[in-house]
Amino acid sequence: MRVLVAIPALNEADAIGEVLAALSAVHPLADTVVVDDGSRDDTGRIARTAGAHVLSHAINLGVGAAMGTAFKYAAANRYDAVIQFDGDGQHRPGHIAELIAATAHADIVIGSRYAPGGDAFKSSAARRGVHHLIARVVSLYARTRITDASSGFRIAGPRALAVFAEHYPVEWLGDTVESIVLATRQGLTVAEIPVGMNERAGGVPSQSVFRSIGYTGRIMFILVLASFRSVPPRLRELRRRTAGESVA
Amino acid sequence: MTPQILAIAMAAVLLIVVIVLLRSYVLPEKYAVIWLAASVVAIVLSAWPGLLDTIAIFFGISQPINLLFVGAFFVLFLLLMQLTLEVAKTRDELRKTVQKLALELEKRQSLDD
Repeated sequence: MRVLVAIPALNEADAIGEVLAALSAVHPLADTVVVDDGSRDDTGRIARTAGAHVLSHAINLGVGAAMGTAFKYAAANRYDAVIQFDGDGQHRPGHIAELIAATAHADIVIGSRYAPGGDAFKSSAARRGVHHLIARVVSLYARTRITDASSGFRIAGPRALAVFAEHYPVEWLGDTVESIVLATRQGLTVAEIPVGMNERAGGVPSQSVFRSIGYTGRIMFILVLASFRSVPPRLRELRRRTAGESVA
Repeated sequence: MTPQILAIAMAAVLLIVVIVLLRSYVLPEKYAVIWLAASVVAIVLSAWPGLLDTIAIFFGISQPINLLFVGAFFVLFLLLMQLTLEVAKTRDELRKTVQKLALELEKRQSLDD
């Protein structure tokens, strides 16, 4: 199976070099793409020098759009699966092999900070509460127990890749959650494996109570919308195409 | 048919249009909140005209309809302002993108030569 590691990065010049160095121990950088989402620093140049492929967005479009670009790149270059990996050192390359192995049983596998068997993730109680609430609601949609829907450490297998290359949610902060809902509605399966995560290498995530409330409200709104939204037009076309193929 | 039923029907049509546009992925989430809020306010005010009178009395406005005009004018002004800012931002992003594209095309053509 050809696996692409996709790293959406915005102004990660301080961390991206180390992240790629650590990644190269378990995964070839020739099969790694850094989507530079309109950085103002040297993120793209550093990543290219390190040996990774770099796709540069001319303007900042958000993580969802960056992953959308990565999925299109993967489909165009005939990869079978895409791993989303953070550019700030939060995710541990050691779990990549486990993610790949788990695609044997599910179309999407999420590296969960809260799944039983993982390291206790150190973060504020408010943040954990928000994550748990979101995971509860997403589990209802996915009809399977998900403990960490907002984790950005995940793999999309061949069937998920075909869907996401056509349509990936672009809404700010909603991409991780909405993509799960979207995928399960396409009949894809979602599973989790427990992972440990590091503290962010650069910058502290600003999670005040008000921000948490705003963030939760926003995600809940996206989830409510997802419940009555139909299939995105481009996915309907994809489904028609694949149905036609199986008939012929 | 009383004017009230007409008003409620119009507000309901507005809400349905918003939901249909949302459903078919034409209207993005970002703008959905404001349009959903506008349709709900329209339905509430048309279904419950007494509410407008009560608020007007509270502000000391003798003609309740004037409150509606002033309120609607203000909201529309804010919406227009926001749209103007969005257009300006989009233009700016388009300019940046086209400039970068021009630089990339030049790079590729000089490689071909």
